[in-house]
Amino acid sequence: MKLFKLNPITQKRLQRFRRIKRGWHSFLILAVLVFLSLFSNYLANHRAIVVYYQGNFYFPTYRFVEAGTFGQVDKWGFDDVETDYAALKEQFKQEGKGNWVLLPPIHFDPYESDFTYATAPPNAPDSRHWLGTDSQGRDVLARLLYGFRISILFALGLVLVTQTTGTIIGSLQGFLGGRFDILSQRFIEIWSALPFLYVVVLIGSLPYIKRGFFTLICIYALFNWITITYYMRTEMYREKTKEYCLAARSFGASRRRLIFKHLLPNCLTPLVTYTPFMIVSAIFALTALDYLGYGLPAPTPSWGEMIDQALQADNRDKLWLVLSPFGAISITLVLVTLIGESIREAFDPKQYARYR
Amino acid sequence: MTARATGSNNTAYHGHHKKPLLSIRELRKFYPIRGGIFSRKLADVKAVHDVSLDIMRGETLGLVGESGCGKSTLGRTLMRLEEPTAGKVFFEGNDLANARGRELFALRREVQMIFQDPYSSLNPRMTVGEIVREPLDIHKIGTPAERREKVSQLFDAVGLKPEVRDRYPHEFSGGQRQRVGVARALALGPKLIIADEPLSALDVSVQAQVINLMVRLQRKLHLTYLFISHDLSVVEYISDRIAIMYLGRIVEEGLKETIFSRPMHPYTQALTAAAPIADPRARRDRVPVQGETPSPINPPAGCAFHPRCPFAAPICSQTVPALQPTNTPGDPGHRAACARMHEGLWG
Repeated sequence: MKLFKLNPITQKRLQRFRRIKRGWHSFLILAVLVFLSLFSNYLANHRAIVVYYQGNFYFPTYRFVEAGTFGQVDKWGFDDVETDYAALKEQFKQEGKGNWVLLPPIHFDPYESDFTYATAPPNAPDSRHWLGTDSQGRDVLARLLYGFRISILFALGLVLVTQTTGTIIGSLQGFLGGRFDILSQRFIEIWSALPFLYVVVLIGSLPYIKRGFFTLICIYALFNWITITYYMRTEMYREKTKEYCLAARSFGASRRRLIFKHLLPNCLTPLVTYTPFMIVSAIFALTALDYLGYGLPAPTPSWGEMIDQALQADNRDKLWLVLSPFGAISITLVLVTLIGESIREAFDPKQYARYR
Repeated sequence: MTARATGSNNTAYHGHHKKPLLSIRELRKFYPIRGGIFSRKLADVKAVHDVSLDIMRGETLGLVGESGCGKSTLGRTLMRLEEPTAGKVFFEGNDLANARGRELFALRREVQMIFQDPYSSLNPRMTVGEIVREPLDIHKIGTPAERREKVSQLFDAVGLKPEVRDRYPHEFSGGQRQRVGVARALALGPKLIIADEPLSALDVSVQAQVINLMVRLQRKLHLTYLFISHDLSVVEYISDRIAIMYLGRIVEEGLKETIFSRPMHPYTQALTAAAPIADPRARRDRVPVQGETPSPINPPAGCAFHPRCPFAAPICSQTVPALQPTNTPGDPGHRAACARMHEGLWG
């Protein structure tokens, strides 16, 4: 299958995309952010990345290492508990025996409450928590980071599922036409008229369905596959009447060959140009659902939940709670939108279509 | 010499002892128009209406008609790109119109098509080498090395350098693209080639190159052409025989010379009179054709041409005239569909 072979047209489009600076730079920034977020465990974690102790290396982010290993006990004298790596680092430094601890840049994980302050959380940003803590004393930056990872992975997963199903169904509609097209099109019209939010709430309240990442993707996918079918359907309808397709049929090409070798490669433009905007709407949708409380279950770090917190009556003067998630959302959505616009510009079909 | 190179076959045709390569019998292609809640059939677009034609081995039959008369549909129905509504098409004894599955797949090797638009007839995402090789791939002919060699030969045959095989269609000019289209049509070694207006998207200078290429290939490979066109001068140049189509029906067929010198149908008369002559001083009596082409959904009763015909009589709107021999001396195959053709009103 040479579906994704780079032919000169694609190469030219890529070149043009790289020349549109705002899109290309947004893409680079976003790529770095997504890449970093995949390593959130090393960026925000209450455990150390590496501990060097008496000639041995320990990697506590991978496996729980009890405090006793390093000769540490908690205030009640237990040694089989979680190690306090910050204290351990201080201790090693004072001892000066060549042992060391490598802590993540943010040494709090997104579920950990920090009650060491004199005042009740939320606490304002300081050198310990760069973006402050939320109303349960959790580090806002750590939650922002993990929230970003979840949002992006959710969006990518959702887009993968919806674009695949949508492309398959839309292409079949356009390719087969006739009765299948008419019936499925009527079904799509009815299906797309269902009020999405009610259905999500309804499904969320069913007893046997556990709310979670994959359930949510499935529910969203049930409604989001429709958009791309419209485009793929029309693309197929147009392309299949072109003479190169007739030529292939005239020497007896199979349907599979027609679809995969001739039609789909020529129908991919809307798929590519719409995907970034689908990502935007997916991130936005997850945030909205989390805000309403029907998204991911409670302790999961998510932007919607953070906004919800920020908008509670007694948090309205805590600017760091509002600005952090809103800032993160705005920046992400602007980046993805810029990428999407640039791709659309780079793929402008008018450049290659010949209307004759 | 070019156009007449195939003339020797005409003797065979005149003698009626040579079997036709392709015999079209009562071929019909109607497109239903549906409407209402239950998709009732309201009417038919009668694109091809009971067409019967013979194409002799080695000849070029020009199919002429104005746009919308059904000539392209006829070509596509013969290629089975459209499913015929009724009728039979015999290709060397096999019914092309009703073949299915393996039989049809095998017949597709024998009949190939050259398309009108060299810009849309080549897949922009395949190299021209892949495009020409594809028929071989589909019919699983030869090893990859043999296919490669065959593609080189085909490029050579149509006057393209085999080195260009890795380029993409958009890197070629219209004429070169049409050469690629010709090479693709030749890939399976067909006997009959249906050329659907292969020149109309090309510049005049390029038209001449492509038409000469087609004539050369015909002599070399003993091809038979069904040449569909609305351009009479092109058809006159390449054809041995010409069939005139009007509103889904063949109204006249005969040798090229007969069609131009002794047309028996007023529509043919009007067409040939309208064709430009390359002599500014030449004058001809023109038969005016009034009005526009009627709708193929509700063609006029009787002869479909009668509302525009300057010689129409009451009988013309009553019965559909059959395609009948005209008894033209020297052209026993000359047939026309006109009720008044023997009255000597024109020509």
